[in-house]
Amino acid sequence: MAELQKDPISRGEFLAMGVMGALVGGVMIVPSTIFVLDPTIKTNFLGQSDVPEEWIEVGSVFEIPANSPREYRVEFPQRQTFTDGGKETPSEAKHIVNALLVSWREGERPEILEGRSSGNLSEEEIEELTQKLNVLSNHCTHLGCPVRWFPDKGEMLCPCHGGIYDINGGYMGGPPPRNLYTYNFEIGEDGAFYVKHEFDGKPWVV
Amino acid sequence: MLGRIKDRSLEVGQTVVDWTEDRTGIVTMIEHFLYEPVPKRGKWLYTLGSATLFLITLQFLTGILLLFYYVPTTDHAWNSIYYMMNDVYMGWLVRGIHFWSANILVVVIGLHMLRTFFSGAYKAPREINWVIGVVLILLVTVLAFTGYALRWDAEGFWAWEVGVKIGSYSPFVGDYMATFLLGGDTAGPATLSRVFALHVWLLPAALAPLIGIHLYLLRRHGEFGSEFEYSKRLSELRQRQQVEEYSIYEDEEGSRE
Repeated sequence: MAELQKDPISRGEFLAMGVMGALVGGVMIVPSTIFVLDPTIKTNFLGQSDVPEEWIEVGSVFEIPANSPREYRVEFPQRQTFTDGGKETPSEAKHIVNALLVSWREGERPEILEGRSSGNLSEEEIEELTQKLNVLSNHCTHLGCPVRWFPDKGEMLCPCHGGIYDINGGYMGGPPPRNLYTYNFEIGEDGAFYVKHEFDGKPWVV
Repeated sequence: MLGRIKDRSLEVGQTVVDWTEDRTGIVTMIEHFLYEPVPKRGKWLYTLGSATLFLITLQFLTGILLLFYYVPTTDHAWNSIYYMMNDVYMGWLVRGIHFWSANILVVVIGLHMLRTFFSGAYKAPREINWVIGVVLILLVTVLAFTGYALRWDAEGFWAWEVGVKIGSYSPFVGDYMATFLLGGDTAGPATLSRVFALHVWLLPAALAPLIGIHLYLLRRHGEFGSEFEYSKRLSELRQRQQVEEYSIYEDEEGSRE
C-alpha cells in the first residue's frame, strides 16, 4: 500500500496548504493566460482593430448605374502589430486591398437621381439613398473567392464552387451559407460615399 | 455523516493512489523525492539541484509563452520584443521571468556544481552523473548565450559576433565554425534563424533527456552523503573490522591448540 502523506497533518496545515496551492496556481495560470489571450482581449472585448477606424472615400453615388453593380477597389491602411512598437506605418506595402460591388436595391436607380450627375444632396435624399444602396464585399461567403457580375444572367457568380447571389448580394444558390457581407458606409452631401473596414459591423471578416 | 464522507473519500483516494502505484510506481518515486534524507550539515545546499530543475522548468514554460509573440526575423525580432514588453498584457512579467530566471539559473547551476564538487558527490558510483551534469551546465551556458542574441539589439548582436570570433580561433576548424555560426559570410537573417533554431529546438531537445538521465541516476544511487549511506557504510566497515578481528583471534586460538 503506497502512501503519499507520511506525517499526519492538522486541519490548519491542510487549509494553509490549500491556500498556498491556490495562490501559486493563480500566479502561474492567470498572467500566462492573459498574456496569450492578449489579441483576443484587445480585438473582441476592447474593439481595437489592426485597421484604423477611418472612412475611406470610394466613389460617388451618381456613378452607379441601374441594373448592374459597379466595381471599386479600395485600400485600407493596416497597423502592423510588430512594426515600430505597434504604431502605424506610412509604408505603402502595409495596405489591405479589397474589391467592392456597389449596386442599387433591386437594380433600380432612385428617382431623385434622375438626370443628375453631380450636385448637393439634402438630408432626406441622403437618407433615402442610404436605404437603397448596397455596398458589398466581393468575397464569396463560402470560402472567400471573388464573385463577379454576369450581365447576361443578371446574377453574381462565384468561380470556385458555383455560389450564386442576386444584385443585392442575397443568396440564391450554391454552397454559400449566407448573403454577401456588406460594408458599413456613409454618404456625404456631395454624393461621395465612404466605407470603413467593417462588415456587418465586424472588423475581421474577409 | 461527515465522518462517513471523510472515510469514504479517504478510501477512494487510497484506491486511486494504489492503482497508480501498481501501474507506474510514481508514488514511491514522489515519496523518494519528497522525503530525501540529506546530511544535517549544509542541508540547504542540497536544495540547489531542485532549484536548478525548477528554474529550467520555468524557462521551458515562459519560453513557450514568448514564442506566441516573438518573430525570428531581422525586421521584427526587436520590434516584437518591444511590443511584448510595452503593449501585451503581462508581457513584461512573462519576459521578465524568462530573462531573470535565466540569469539566476546560471548562478544556481554553478553553485550546484560547486556543492557537488566540495561534498565529493562525484565519486564512485556517481561519475557518470557528474559527466552528464557538466554537459548540462555547458548546454545551459550556450542556451543563455543564444538567448542573448535572439533579442537582435546592438548588445545581443555584437555579443554573438564576439562569440563567432572566439569560435573562429578554434584550431583547424575555425573558419568553418564561423561560417556555420553565421549561416554564411556575414551576419544576417540566416544568422538569426540559426540562433533561433539552436535556442528553441536543438538545445532544449538535448537538455530534456539529459535531465531525465540525471534524475534517473540520482534516484538509482540516492542523494550523496545521506545518513543512510553513511550509516550503511559505517556498519559495513565495522562488520569488516569485526570479521578481521575475529579471524585474528581464531588464528591465535588455532595456533595455541
